[in-house]
Parts: sequence; C-alpha cells; structure tokens
Amino acid sequence: MVLTVLGPLAGRSFAITGKPNLLLLRPTNLPLLRLSLLLPPPHFSSSSSSCRLRSPIFAAQESNLSVSNENETSEWLMQDFYTLRKDVEIASARVEEIRASAGLEQLEQEIANLESKATDTSFWDDRTKAQETLSALNDLKDRMRLLSEFKTMVEDAETIVKLTEEMDSTDVSLLEEAMGIIKDLNKSLDRFELTQLLSGPYDKEGAVVYITAGAGGTDAQDWADMLLRMYMRWGEKQRYKTKVVEMSNGEEAGIKSATLEIEGRYAYGYISGEKGTHRIVRQSPFNSKGLRQTSFSGVEVMPLLPEEAVGIEIPEEDLDISFTRAGGKGGQNVNKVETAVRITHIPTGVAVRCTEERSQLANKTRALIRLKAKLLVIAEEQRATEIKEIRGDAVKAEWGQQIRNYVFHPYKLVKDVRTGHETSDITSVMDGDLDPFIKAYLKHKYTLAMASAVTN
Amino acid sequence: MIRIFPSLRFTSLLSAAKPLCSYSPAREPPQYASFTEAKSSPQTNSLSITPKTPLFLRTPSHATSLSEVWKWHDWAKDLASSVEESSTNSEDILDSVILHRELKWLIEDSIVDDPLVILHKSEIADNGEKNVKLRASLEELYDLWRQRIEKRRPFQYVVGCEHWRDLVLCVEEGVLIPRPETELIVDMVEELVARDEWFKKGFWADLGTGSGAIAIGIAKVLGSSGRVIATDLSPVAIAVAGHNVQRYSLEGMIEVREGSWFEPLKGLEGKLVGLVSNPPYIPSDDIPGLQAEVGRHEPKLALDGGIDGTDSLLHLCHGASRMLQRGGFFVFETNGEKQSKMIVDYMMSNDLKDCFSDLKIVSDFAGINRFVTGFRL
Repeated sequence: MVLTVLGPLAGRSFAITGKPNLLLLRPTNLPLLRLSLLLPPPHFSSSSSSCRLRSPIFAAQESNLSVSNENETSEWLMQDFYTLRKDVEIASARVEEIRASAGLEQLEQEIANLESKATDTSFWDDRTKAQETLSALNDLKDRMRLLSEFKTMVEDAETIVKLTEEMDSTDVSLLEEAMGIIKDLNKSLDRFELTQLLSGPYDKEGAVVYITAGAGGTDAQDWADMLLRMYMRWGEKQRYKTKVVEMSNGEEAGIKSATLEIEGRYAYGYISGEKGTHRIVRQSPFNSKGLRQTSFSGVEVMPLLPEEAVGIEIPEEDLDISFTRAGGKGGQNVNKVETAVRITHIPTGVAVRCTEERSQLANKTRALIRLKAKLLVIAEEQRATEIKEIRGDAVKAEWGQQIRNYVFHPYKLVKDVRTGHETSDITSVMDGDLDPFIKAYLKHKYTLAMASAVTN
Repeated sequence: MIRIFPSLRFTSLLSAAKPLCSYSPAREPPQYASFTEAKSSPQTNSLSITPKTPLFLRTPSHATSLSEVWKWHDWAKDLASSVEESSTNSEDILDSVILHRELKWLIEDSIVDDPLVILHKSEIADNGEKNVKLRASLEELYDLWRQRIEKRRPFQYVVGCEHWRDLVLCVEEGVLIPRPETELIVDMVEELVARDEWFKKGFWADLGTGSGAIAIGIAKVLGSSGRVIATDLSPVAIAVAGHNVQRYSLEGMIEVREGSWFEPLKGLEGKLVGLVSNPPYIPSDDIPGLQAEVGRHEPKLALDGGIDGTDSLLHLCHGASRMLQRGGFFVFETNGEKQSKMIVDYMMSNDLKDCFSDLKIVSDFAGINRFVTGFRL
C-alpha cells in the first residue's frame, strides 16, 4: 500500500519538474490531491501505477490524456476540475466587480484627454508638468492594461472549463494551465486591490522614516535600533533603495534616533501606516537580573517628496527655526561642524529636525522640505484643505498613538493594536516580514474611510 | 608687535602657517602705514602656492580589502568614543556624537563605493574580502583621524573642504574655515538684490576673502551681470580662493586680488555698490583661550583683531565711506554684542558722521548681534 501511495506522488512531482509553471499551482491543490491519492481503489496494482507514472508527462506532450486515462484517475481529476470550476467562477465574479468599480469609460476618457494634451505643441514648455502628465498617463494605461488582462485571463480559464465540460473527458495539461491562470490572476487581483487601497496623493512616493528611542535609556535605544533594522530589511525585501541618512548612537548600545530614506514606488503608501509608538516587552539584555522590561520607540513616516513637488508656501512668521548654537561667542571663536536645524511650525507645533547635511543652508532646506511634507500628510489625514486648518493637538495624539506590541517574553507575539492582526513568528517580523501587518492595516484604513464616507 | 608672539607660538606647530609669519607685520591693518608694507610683498608669491586637493576630489588610486577598512572604522569609532573620558579640560572637549558624524563624512569623502558598505557592516553578508577603492591610503586615513583627535586638527582641514551654503569649498591651513554664521551675509545680499536690481550691476568687494566663500556666494546671487573683487593679504588665501572660484567657473565674475584691505581696489573709489567683509575681530587677549581647533590651527591673521578686536573693522568703516558710491550697501561681521554697538557708534560720530544711513545691527541665529549693515549716503 505504501508503495502505491508513493508511486503516483512521485509521478506527479516528476511531471511537475517537466513543466515549470506547474510548480506554482501545486502547493494549494496538494491537500486535495493527497486526499485522493491516499484513497486508491483496491484493485490498484504496481503495474498500473507505473503506467500512471508516465501519464502526466505524456499528457503534457500530447495534450490528450483520455486514452491512457483510467477510471480512478479521472475520478480525482474530476474533483480537481470541480474545484477549478468553482475557482474560475469566483475569479470571474471578482474581475467583473473590479472592472465595474474601476469606471472603465471614465478611465478611457481620461486617457484620451491626457493623450491629446501630450501631443500639444506647447506640451514640453513646462518640463515638470509634462513629466507629471506623462507619468499620470502611464499609470492610467497600466491600470487599463491590467483590467483588460484580467478579463482575458478569466475568459481563457472559462473557455477551458467549457471545453472540458463539452469534451466529456479530462485533459490534465489544459486543467493545469487553467489552474495556473487562476492562481496568477488571483495574485494580480490581490495586488491590484492593494494598490487601489493606495490611492492617497503621496502613496506612490518614497518614504522618510524617522525613528526615535522613547524614554528608558539603553533598552529603548536598543529597541529603536531593532526597529531601524526591521524597516531596512523590509525595504530590501521590497527591492527598495534604503539609506540611513542620519543616525545618532546611544551611549551604551542602540540609537537615540535615525532617519531612513526608502526610495521606490509606493514605499510611502505601504509604510505610512507604521507611524506611531511601537512597544516591546522582553527580558532586558542590559539588566543582569534579566527582568521583564517594557520600552517604547516612536516612528514617524513622511513622504519623500522632490523639492519642487512640495508646492506649499508657509509664511516666514509661522516658522520657528533654531540652529545648533556654536556655543559661547560663536563666529570666528568657534569651529563646530554640526549645523543641525530644527524647524517648528508654530500654529500646529509640528516640528522636524535635520542634522545629516554638512552645511547650515542644506540642513535648513532639507528640514523645510520635510516639514512641508509632514504638514501635507497631516492636512490630508485631517481632510484639511489648508495648512491653517490643521489641529495641532490632534496631530500629537495621533502620531504618538501606540500601534503595535512586540512581546518577546514570556510568550512570543506581535499584535497590531489597530487591526488586531497578530503572529507568533516574531523573528520573521523583526526580519522585515511586515507585509501581513501592512495589508491588514491598509484594508482596515480603507474600511474606515468607506464607513466614514457613508456616514457623511 | 608683542601680540605676534602668541600667534607665532601656536602657528609654528604647522608648516603651512609659515608663510603667514613672514607677513605678520601687515597684521595691523588700520594704520595706513601698513599699506606700504603690504605693497612690498611680491604679487607673484601666490602663484607659487598650489592649493591642496581635498580628499573628495582625489583620484581613487588606493585599493584595500573591505575587512581592513572595517578594522580602521572600528578603531576610529573607538577612538571617537573614548575622547570624553580622557579629556581633562571640561571647557574645551571633543563631542563624541559629533566625531561619529565627522567620521561618517570622512568615509563619504574618502571611499568610492557606497559608504553604507562600511557603516552597516553588521547588515551585510559580505565576507570582507571584496576590495574597495579609496582616495587616500589606509595609513593616511589612520593618520588623518589621529590628527583630528589627538592634535585637534579641524575636521575641515582633515578632509580639505568645508560645506558652506550650497557650496563645497576647498580649505587648508592658512585659510579661515568659513563659519555657518557667515552664510547669513549672503542671505542679506540675496534679499537686497531681490528688492533692488540696481545692486546687481555694479562692483562688489569682499575684503579678506579667505577661501573666497562670501565672494562666491554673492557672485551666485548677483547673477551673470555681477562683478566681485575679492582681496586678501595672505598668499595662501589668494591661491585657495582663486582655486575655489575656478571650481565654480566664476572667473568671469570674481577677480581675486592680493593685498591689504582696500589697497588692491585703487581706482574704484566711490564706485562700489556693495562691500562685505568678515575681518579678524577677536580681541587679542581672547586668542590664547580659543577652542583648540581654532587657536592651534587657524590663521591668526584671520582671527586677531587687535586689543579690542576692532582694528580691522574701524579701518573698514573708513574705507567704506571712501569706496562705496551713493546708496551703496555694506555688511561687516563682528564679534557681537559690545563690538557691533561700538562700530555703529563709531560710524555715527566724528568724521564718519553723515556718511551712512540705515545703520543696523543684525543678529545671527544664536541671537548674537553679529552683523553691522548700512548704506552710503
């Protein structure tokens, strides 16, 4: 019995190596397969098993399996088929829904508009604007292309299902192809839906992540360092370019603060939900008694906006700009390389600091860009149309809100306070495996936005 | 002449400071007599001085294994962290946080590869056998960092440049390192020319230009029609300023002239639309107590302003009345507080009375009354 069970399994995997794309679809279908394989009909013999061993390969080459097919084979194939048919139906409905909500006609209209703009003779007079138009056009075209791709994919799968029904025999390779299509399609749909969740005005931009250790000395500073590493790993996994532009080391270990720049499309959209206070519970490695210790670190996320994109003017009198003082008499009396600049927006109390540049002016320029980016994001969050409308007290409350707990001891658990999403695989999370948390948050945010849109 | 001795004592530590000593009699600029002395200095002198190439502009001709660079970096970090404990003088100590930042910049300037390779050693899977290209040999890097910490050599001299406004200026021993406060002078000029185009068209002068920082900053603000004459008594400064002007391709707008204060501006009396200067203004008695980086390494010529620090400033006040045309603007940097008040009082009295209008004291970002500005009546 053992041999007959193993035989077909080995046969399957052999066929899989012969056709690379099958590898993709196998894992999800495996439980079903195994179930049907574990219950082979009693008359199953080793000779028929060797015959079946070859059949999938044969099928892959000749795409006609019915000849060599035996009853029991078609039995599990039929089960696969029913599953497939169901999957295709679900996917079809999903595609239908997505295409309906995407506003295809409006999309076509917009593309036509932008295309006519791009052919205008004066189009390149304003380079920045032209670039913006072209990138908007590309985005729309990409979306259009994806939407029609979804349709073609689901239609292909439907055709296979229909064909199989009409042929009253099962073609393994065709079914496998359909399964592959559905699997790919579902992945694309997931991704599409996620980017739909990222429709904020700055979501496409890169991100600036600013991490500060909370009170609590070395433990908190070490925790801030761990978070920095986590975000760097996350960025690398997404193939984003990550760069620590500023870092202030703690006295014993860890960091007091660090600024991480993440370049790449949608970096801000994904990571913006990470802003807030992150709490760790663990046995302190810096305490000889190994007592349980709770520490906090703050994370701020702002979009990484190019200078010319930050199109807001802030009246000079609203800014409190403070520079690192040279100390004492200043001027020729002192030579200090540090030229840190801190800018506070007086009406809201929103502040940024920039220390990484080597000249005062460069630090000031960069700090101002960061401040503007931060104000823009806050305005967006508060649905304020002008910077003036920002409520400073709300900023403090929201940006400092505790968003996630990381418990290392006495049990292992990472839990997001907002979404309730949790995992016990704390090692992976600290290694930058943040996507489940990010997805959960984006969905949560989307639901909230929908709900508030309804009530308004 | 007594005042020269402390400067000799300090500068003699440096070979680069030698040319300065030979010109030290000209350090007393207010006396018109000093002009003759300055004139006697041969104009060709500066030509023989070749400015040093800053680290970041050198060709990366050295290759070392990554692990060796890591070793150097670990050593340098440890040295930077240990400074506070070993210091005996609590008044004038190195700050290890700032030293770590300087170390990062030193790496940026001296290695060709992404500095992150070195800074985030623990994050990289690299085994350290990879070769990295360096702009200085590893021995030199050890030596440079030791000089920074043990000799208190200013970081800007170590790397050979200073980032100032949006400029990267070459600096070396014998030339004052431009200070962040002085960036404000260019801001003031920028504001002025934005208000009144008239200032864009005439001659500007930057006296005691040093690295050429203010002259270059102003030339960029003035736009293509601007003309700036930058003067300095020190041949090293003349060479370095000339080199910096060249690096920014501003030879057409800035002329660097060697000589004491107004002496190289003969023939321009009553013609300047603008006059700027960051002259030596530290009282002589304060010189011995300066921060080690400044007192031991920067040129006394650019720091020591005489008994109360106003020798050069007073001289500049008189010159401003002679050289500026009606409506012309001036801004001078001062030691702050008392001194700026003194200069304003001086300009409102005696023979300078009725020469200037809108005399103002402008404070720097630390709230110190740093600058005196005004217009020629």
